[in-house]
Order: sequence, then structure tokens, then C-alpha cells
Amino acid sequence: MQTHSSQFDVIVCGAGHAGIEAALAAARTGAKTLILSGNIDTIGQMSCNPAIGGIAKGNIVREVDALGGEMAVTADVTGIQFRLLNASKGPAVQAPRVQCDKKAYQFRMKHTLELQPNLQIFQATVTSLVFSKGKVVGCKTNLDLEFRAKTLVITTGTFLKALMHIGQNKNEGGRMGDHNAKTLSNSFIEAGIQLERLKTGTPPRLLGRTIDFSKMQEQKGDETPTLFGFYDTRGKEELFHVEQFGERKLGWKPGTDQVSCWITYTSPESKRIVTENLEKSAMYSGQISGTGPRYCPSIEDKYVRFKDKERHTLYLEPEGRNTDEYYINGLSTSLPFEVQNDLIHSIDGLEEAQILRPAYAVEYDFAPPTQLFPSLESRKVENLYFAGQINGTSGYEEAAGQGLIAGVNAARRARGEEPLILKRHEGYIGVMIDDLVTKGTREPYRMFTSRAEHRLLFNHSSAELRLLHHIEAMNLVPPARLDRIKDKLKQIEHWQLWLEKNTTAGGSWGDLIRRPHTEKELPKEFEAVSEPIKKEVLLRIAYKGYLEREKKQIKRLSEIEDTQLPKNINYLEIKGLKKESATKLEEARPVTLGQASRISGVNPSDIGILLVSLKKKTFKTD
Amino acid sequence: MIDSDTIVALATPSFESAIALIRVSGPGASVLATDILGNCPRPRQAHHGRYKDQDGTQIDDVLFCFFKGPHSYTGEDILEISCHGNPFIAQKIIDDLLSRGCEMAEPGEFTRRSFLNGKMDLSQAEAVMDLIRARSDRALETANRQLRGVLGKRITLLAERLLQVVAGIEAYIDFPEEGLPPESQKKHIENIASVAKETNKLLATSHYGNIVRDGVRTILIGEPNAGKSSLLNQLVGYDRAIVSPEPGTTRDFLEERYMLGPHCIRFLDTAGLHSGARSIEKLGIEKTVEQSADADIFLLVLDSTHPPPSLPDEIRDRMTSQNTLLVCNKSDLNELKEIPEEYSPFTRIKTSALDGSGLPELQDAIITLVESGRTAIGEDLIAISARHAHALSEVSQCLQSAQERLESEEPLELVASDLRSSLDNLGQITGRIDNEQMLDTLFSSFCIGK
Ligand SMILES: Cc1cc2nc3c(=O)[nH]c(=O)nc-3n(C[C@H](O)[C@H](O)[C@H](O)COP(=O)(O)OP(=O)(O)OC[C@H]3O[C@@H](n4cnc5c(N)ncnc54)[C@H](O)[C@@H]3O)c2cc1C
Ligand SMILES: Nc1nc2c(ncn2[C@@H]2O[C@H](COP(=O)(O)OP(=O)(O)OP(=O)(O)O)[C@@H](O)[C@H]2O)c(=O)[nH]1
Ligand SMILES: [Mg+2]
Repeated sequence: MQTHSSQFDVIVCGAGHAGIEAALAAARTGAKTLILSGNIDTIGQMSCNPAIGGIAKGNIVREVDALGGEMAVTADVTGIQFRLLNASKGPAVQAPRVQCDKKAYQFRMKHTLELQPNLQIFQATVTSLVFSKGKVVGCKTNLDLEFRAKTLVITTGTFLKALMHIGQNKNEGGRMGDHNAKTLSNSFIEAGIQLERLKTGTPPRLLGRTIDFSKMQEQKGDETPTLFGFYDTRGKEELFHVEQFGERKLGWKPGTDQVSCWITYTSPESKRIVTENLEKSAMYSGQISGTGPRYCPSIEDKYVRFKDKERHTLYLEPEGRNTDEYYINGLSTSLPFEVQNDLIHSIDGLEEAQILRPAYAVEYDFAPPTQLFPSLESRKVENLYFAGQINGTSGYEEAAGQGLIAGVNAARRARGEEPLILKRHEGYIGVMIDDLVTKGTREPYRMFTSRAEHRLLFNHSSAELRLLHHIEAMNLVPPARLDRIKDKLKQIEHWQLWLEKNTTAGGSWGDLIRRPHTEKELPKEFEAVSEPIKKEVLLRIAYKGYLEREKKQIKRLSEIEDTQLPKNINYLEIKGLKKESATKLEEARPVTLGQASRISGVNPSDIGILLVSLKKKTFKTD
Repeated sequence: MIDSDTIVALATPSFESAIALIRVSGPGASVLATDILGNCPRPRQAHHGRYKDQDGTQIDDVLFCFFKGPHSYTGEDILEISCHGNPFIAQKIIDDLLSRGCEMAEPGEFTRRSFLNGKMDLSQAEAVMDLIRARSDRALETANRQLRGVLGKRITLLAERLLQVVAGIEAYIDFPEEGLPPESQKKHIENIASVAKETNKLLATSHYGNIVRDGVRTILIGEPNAGKSSLLNQLVGYDRAIVSPEPGTTRDFLEERYMLGPHCIRFLDTAGLHSGARSIEKLGIEKTVEQSADADIFLLVLDSTHPPPSLPDEIRDRMTSQNTLLVCNKSDLNELKEIPEEYSPFTRIKTSALDGSGLPELQDAIITLVESGRTAIGEDLIAISARHAHALSEVSQCLQSAQERLESEEPLELVASDLRSSLDNLGQITGRIDNEQMLDTLFSSFCIGK
């Protein structure tokens, strides 16, 4: 084993959606960074559906953009179909979703990493970690090369001890056609980090020219695309990369030349095929031990759990502009190939369809995230960070959000600075990480708006405004952009006040805006304001009462949310604390009282007791 | 409506005493005083006045006393209201204070605030925490007891239905592309209305009933023929129970309410406990064990002429010197047997249900136990009933608001916001209903899986 000559601040292991954001965030905040991946041709590969965003997930992408991440812009400029979901509902729960050109997305991401100062890319599979005195100090690779760094970020996705199933057929690996990582799990176990199993699955891919689209319903994109990136706060210097399409990096003007998706349904014959072959499915023959996601069930699950439902909706989604490969959304399965074939042929419009790649299920190791601090650093090993699917989540956006936070924090740790921690009321990323480290997860964790108690504050277009103080404190965007965000906020607040103060027939403009179902003519001065500012102002005014209620609640909870718990506090010796609660707290070791209050089995009186004990310093430490 | 962070609770511990003291503490206390009285009384002086609720209905003649922080028990502004000791009145006043924006104090919260505001010194810290613990354990036990009953079953059912409604709306918000059955406003409105109706029904019946129905549950247990039924008859003053020289006379349990001084005592006579009982007796014994689970006070009745029996563990484990009296009956027979070591912690009282001797002592001992505070449940019951009633009325309001919003076609997430508040409020009764439970309901009712 040979040790690589240069010492890094941060090494990121894995170049999926989490790894990319982690590496960029670390490098962009000034850390000397190395990203390792077993295969650099699959940097930023979408293992499943080539789409970014969706309800709650789209909000995460915009938060990533606000925090200086890359996912938003790449998705925008490689998008081939744009849709704003929940457009008929209120702005708080609307979110953009975009179908991307899968290869263009990957190439652009790879190119972005290549161009990033402070960042080095290297193709190698990490085989083990190097520890010294309870800390991680580096990693070893399959090339017999060892790398050293102050901090490491693990973003290995589904690749650890991964096993793919198609009926009775099994292949080792985290993604069909990619490399596999068998040994790294042992390093975690050696360090006392527990691992458990989860599973997920992906549907077959079909050849477009063998599909009869005339039997399907067309689903077009929105004429005016809703984008993920905040372009109104980016100046020419940044827009160079973004809007000078084709100048340097791959990409095109968002919203041009959109392609369609297609809707079809399963038939009664499909139901018969699946139910008669159930025992051949890897899932149903007891081959798989991991838990799968309830929100993304296999077709087997759908028929078994919802017996009365006669047909299931399927979406055919193109994988790119320069390929004829189609993803069939809603048909995830682990049935054997021949059964998959029959199943496909039983579907309207797919009678003659050819499968390019079969569906499969994959089970993999993940490290239950309750073993992490809210900074995403391991509680067991200092300087070791985890992000993405390795933490039990699922989804590109969830991975990207965590990756960014872990990258920023690994870089900050390397410099001895305090971590970036988003609170639950600041955004979906805050909710996600708090959920993960406090409660853990029993199934692959995906974000839903219902997980956020303050979702009314989380409209996608407000991400920069909500996160402004972090963006500033952590230096996450160039100074010019920061100034523009601040200016935008100022203008929004100005107009908010203006509209509440100035009157029109029958009251203030604010009252008029809040009156339901009236055609609203707005003052001329205001009509001239830019679209993003106008939208935010109108939202804040229309929802005034609700937003104030949320803010009041947040303020009320701030006492416990902001109270830090001492690192080594001994809960078992706190007088008055119930044994059960003390044991739970010992195990979970929350960082704040707020986090403690969300641990199941810890009740308000325990929090009261802790508060007294903290204020009066009657606790003991280990 | 005052700002929150002002708490209210009943401060007098006992049940149906002559006067009940309600204490309000927090920044809103002076505003409340002004709202209710017309002006804020001079600090530390008793003011006689009428307590009128928010609708202007007079509830009671009361005494108000205002304490300006920091010169008060908690260090905050405090308003004390003394009303007649009838639980209905106390609860009505508390209900009104809650609807004016107060929050029900958590168990031990007054003491906690007082402590945090520097009103107590460090050496008292541990005692304070023990107290908070003890108070909340007891409150929890009382609340759980209520939930085990009929009311609890209805509330659980209500929670399930509400969860179903919330899951329905959340599914439309989070999974717009799932081809869920077409979004039918009408259906949602119907569902919400039906849950609201059930809530209101529950609210109407649950309001004040519990406290009076309850009282201090005092259970008579012992071996067959010890004289339990005879004692009950003596205690309540008439022949409530059948008495016979045959062991095993009482098969089912019997219940009788009786005022002992200011306290409402609910006596329960039970089937005698002995091993090797026949099946019909066994049923009776099972019932006795079941009833013991909810008992506040145990009267362990011994036939002084017999060696004392051993008790089932489920019962024995609940008995402490704080809640048990050892009643050595048939003391007129003069053939007293040794009392085993096991029972030595319990206060011992000699009685004769035949000639009535020892009965006054027994009554006094029961009163002492009740007033020692360890078994007093009146206070918790009022707090819990008020809390439950308040929570239910919040549920009802949120549901109404949700329904109105749906009818006027406001955005669905606002409807959801109301529904989530209703769920949180119901959680105040049933224990926190977290999002995982909502998701469980959602995924088991809707086929999600694009
Ligand atoms: C079959 C399948 C189906 C899925 N289905 C869904 C779905 O239906 N819905 C959904 O939301 N999400 C789904 N996902 C999940 C989604 O793809 C992931 O959540 C997301 O890609 C996770 O990002 P990540 O960065 O954590 O990991 P990945 O994107 O998995 O990236 C991991 C990276 O680490 C590299 N790597 C791994 N081990 C090593 C090592 N030892 N050394 C060096 N490099 C290493 C890999 O090469 C890769 O670049 C699915 C994933 C798979 C594989
Ligand atoms: N001498 C004497 N006899 C008593 C006394 N108390 C009860 N008895 C008699 O004991 C017998 C049993 O009395 P009960 O009151 O029925 O006893 P119990 O404990 O209810 O019995 P079961 O219902 O069978 O469990 C009756 O004949 C009573 O008259 C007492 O204090 N002194
Ligand atoms: Mg009897």
C-alpha cells in the first residue's frame, strides 16, 4: 500500500448526488478536497427515474441552490420536460419537477467537478478506512493507494454489500452495470458503527420505437418552465456558466424543445400474471431481508396490498434526447425476466415492447442515522461524516441536501469551525436531518411535505430568503449574489409594508389581496416589480395570518429548541428523570432540548426536569 | 385573547372542599384580571366580585387576589381566584380561562416556574424535580385510567377517524400524480362534518361528568367471609350489600358513593379472594383484580380470627403504606391472630362490623389518607377533564374552520393546517399522534407508487 503524497482537508467517498454536493461545497468553501469514485463515468448517475424534484423534493433542490449547491442549475439546463406540481393548490405546497436528459446531467456534473478549483477527482474504489485514536484519518483503495485527510465524507449510496435480484437471479453490486463495494462495510463494523439492510427497486427500461404511443395519453410539459435555480440573484459573472448555453458545459436553454411523457394502465391480464407468479418474485419468495419503501411499492406489492384496485397507472418517461430508452414509472418489480416480459406485453401500447434492461430489486447496507450528530458527523468516529442513501434515505434530492451539509461541515471541521445546522423551521433539509438523527428510519426515508410542521413557510421560491443568515454566516455564495439576495429581501419587506399601509377602495391593498375569489387589480407601482418579488410579496400578504401563527409557534418553542445539552451529561443521574426516559436519552444523546423532546417516550415533564437541571446546573457529566 | 405562556391550574388539592382556589400565573394575569373584573385589583388585596365567562354568563361569586411579580410565588404576575368548592364551578372557570388564552399548567409547572425565577434556592432543586415527577406520574396515571374507560374507547375511535380524514387530504397534497380517486371536495366535507359531529357529542357528554362519577376509589378486599360487605354497610349507613355466614356471598363487585367529610368516596365491595375458587368465584376474583388496578385506596379486611390470606401479586404490588389500611375486623371475637410481617407497614385499625366499634377511626384514617395528598385525585381529575374538554373544543373549532375553508375553496394546505391542529389537540388526550401514524394510515389506505 502506497500513501498518496498530498494531504487533503476533505475526502469524499462516492460521486453520487450526495458526494457531488459534498465535494463541491467543501471545495467552494475553501477546503482542499478529493472525491473518489469506483467509476467516474457514472458521476451523478440517476439510478432510477431520470427526474429531479417533485413535491417537497423540489423544495429541497431549491434549498440546495440557495446554499450554493449544483443540482438545481444542472437539472434546469439538462431538463427535457418541466412541470409545476400542485399548481391548482396553494403556493406553499407547489413544487417543480423536471425530467432530465440522464446522460447530459451526468456529463455536466462531471465537467463541473473537473472545473472546480480546490477539487481533485480520482477513480478508485474505497476498500477500507484508516483510523487513528478514535478518529478517521484516511482511506485505502483497490489500487493499493492510500489517501490521507483531516475529514472524510461517506456517500456510497446503495453500493455497500449490495445484492441485486431479478427473480431467483442474483448479482452483487449497487446498480446494474456498475462496480460494487464489498469490503468497506467491515471498516464501519470495526469502528462500532452498526449497519442494517434496506431494499429498493427499479422498473424495466424499454425501447421507444417498439412502444405504441398512439394507445397512450400524452402528458406535456408546462409552456413556461418553473426552474430550480435562483437566476434573479445571480449576476453576469455566474450566469456565464448558466445561461451561455453550450459555451463551455453541456446544456440548453431551459424549457426549449420539451418532450412528452405518456400515460398508460395495467390490464386485468397484468394482474393475473403478477398474482399467479408471486412466488417467483425475489420479494415474495423470501430472498430479500431488507425493508422497502411504502411509497414506492413494487407492482407485486400493489396487487397484494390493494386487491380491489383493478388497474394501476403507468408513466413512460424518456431518458434523454439522444436515446430511445424509456423508463416505465410505476412498474418496479423483482419478478424473473420472462414474467416481466409477459407483464410488459399485457399493457396497452406495450404489446410489442422490447425490454432494454430488466427491472430489479437491490438490497444494501445502510448505517442507521441515529448514530450521527445533526452535523452529520458520526458519533462513534470523529471527523467521519455520512450523507445520502447510506443514511437510509432514498432520492437524489434528499442525498444532495445531506451531501451539501456534510461537505460544508467536513470543511468547517478541518478548519476547526462550528458546524452548519439547519433548524426544522428553516427548511426541508432541516426537517430531514433532524428526523434522521433523532428518530432514524424503518424504511428508505423520503421527504413529504407532511413531515414539516411549518411547511406553510417552505414555499419553494423563498428558499434563499429563509436561509439567508446561514448563507451569509457560512460564506456559501459569492458576495455579489449575497448582496442581491439581501436586496431582494429588503424590497419584499418594503412592498409588503407598502401594500398593507396604502389604501384603495374598501381598505388596504393587503385586505383586498386577502379577500378570496376577487379579481385583483394591483397598484401600478407594484405591477412594475420583478416577478419573483411580486409572487413572494403576494404570498406573504395573502397568508399573513397563517404565517404569523407559524412564527409565533416557532418563537414559543425557541426556548427549548435553542437550549444545548452538555455533551457528556449523565442522564441516569438526573434526579426525578424516569429510568426509561433517562435510558432513551442516554442512547439518543440529543444535542438540544428540542431534539430531546422529539424522542419517542420522552414526555414534557422530562423536558421540564431537564430544563430545571440545566438552568441550575445540578447535572453530572461523565 | 391573551398571549400564551400564562398558565392556569386548580391549586387546592382536595376534592369537594368548601373553597376551590384557581391560580393563574404569567404575563397575561393582569390583563385577564382587567378583562374579567373590569379593572386589575390592587396587589395583595382580596376583591369580591362576580366571575362572568366570556359570553357574560355569571359562573360564581368569587374572591380575586392579584400578586404583582416578582413578589409572588412563581415570581410572575399571579391572579388567584377563590370560588365555591364545587367541581363544576371550578372546572367552568378553568374552561373559561383556557378559552381566554391561558394554557393548562403541566404538572408541577408552578413550582418549576417559581424555581426558575429564583424563588427557591439550589438545595431545593432535587426536591423540586422529585415533585414534578411525582405530580406528573400521578396525573398520567389518572389520565390513563380515564382513557381505559368507555370515554377512552370513543376517543380512540375518534382519533382513528380523524387520522383517516387527515391522511386523505395529505395524500392529495403530497402525491398529486398518483391518480388518486378524483379530488372530491364534497367527500372531504362530509367526512370532516361527521368527525366534527362526533367530537361535539363527546364534548357535550364528557364535560363535567367524570369528576362526579369518579371520586376517590376505595376498594374493600380480603378473604371470603372477612366481613367486607358488613363493613361497607356500616360505612354507608344502610344495608347496601347482602351479608351471610356463607363464604363467597359477594360474587360481583358492588359500588356505593358516600361523602366522608368534604370528600366524595366511592366504595367498592368485592368478591372474597382465595385460592382454589370454583369457576364462578374465579370470575368474581378476576373482577376484583381488575378493579384494584384503578383503586386509589385499599381497605384490606382481615378476619381477626383467621390467619390472614396471601394476595395475588397484581394487587399486592399496588399496595403501599400511602394508600392502604389494614382493617382487622371481627375484633369483638377476641381470638386475634398474629399479623404477618408483610403487612406491618400498613396502618392498622381494629373494627367490628357487628357492633360498629372502630368505625369512626376507620373513617378518620380514610380522610387522612385522602388529604395526605398522595391519593387525592380530585385536582388531577379537574385538570384532566378541563384539559380534555378544552382539547376537544379546539378539535371541534379546527374542524369547523377546515370545513369552511373547503367550502369556500381555499387552498388545501390551509385546510390541512387546521386538520393538523385538530390532530395535535386530540393528541393532548390520547398522547402525541405523530406524523408516522398519519403516514401509516395514508399508505394503508391509498395505493401510492409512481
Ligand atoms: C435500483 C435503485 C432504485 C432506486 N429507486 C429509487 C426510487 O424509486 N425512488 C427514489 O427516490 N430513489 C430511488 N433510488 C435511490 C436514488 O438513486 C438514491 O437515493 C440516490 O442516488 C442516492 O444518492 P447517493 O449519492 O447517496 O448515492 P448513489 O447515487 O448511489 O451514489 C453512490 C456513489 O458512490 C460510489 N461508490 C460507492 N461505493 C464506493 C466505494 N467503496 N468507493 C468509491 N466509490 C464508491 C458509486 O460509484 C456512486 O458514484 C434507487 C436507487 C437504486 C440503485
Ligand atoms: N363477630 C363478627 N362477625 C362478623 C363481623 N363482620 C362480619 N361478620 C359476620 O361474618 C359473616 C360474613 O360477613 P360478610 O360481610 O358477608 O363477609 P364478606 O367478606 O363480604 O364475604 P364474601 O362476600 O363471601 O367474600 C357474616 O355472618 C357476618 O355477620 C364482625 O366484626 N364480628
Ligand atoms: Mg361479601
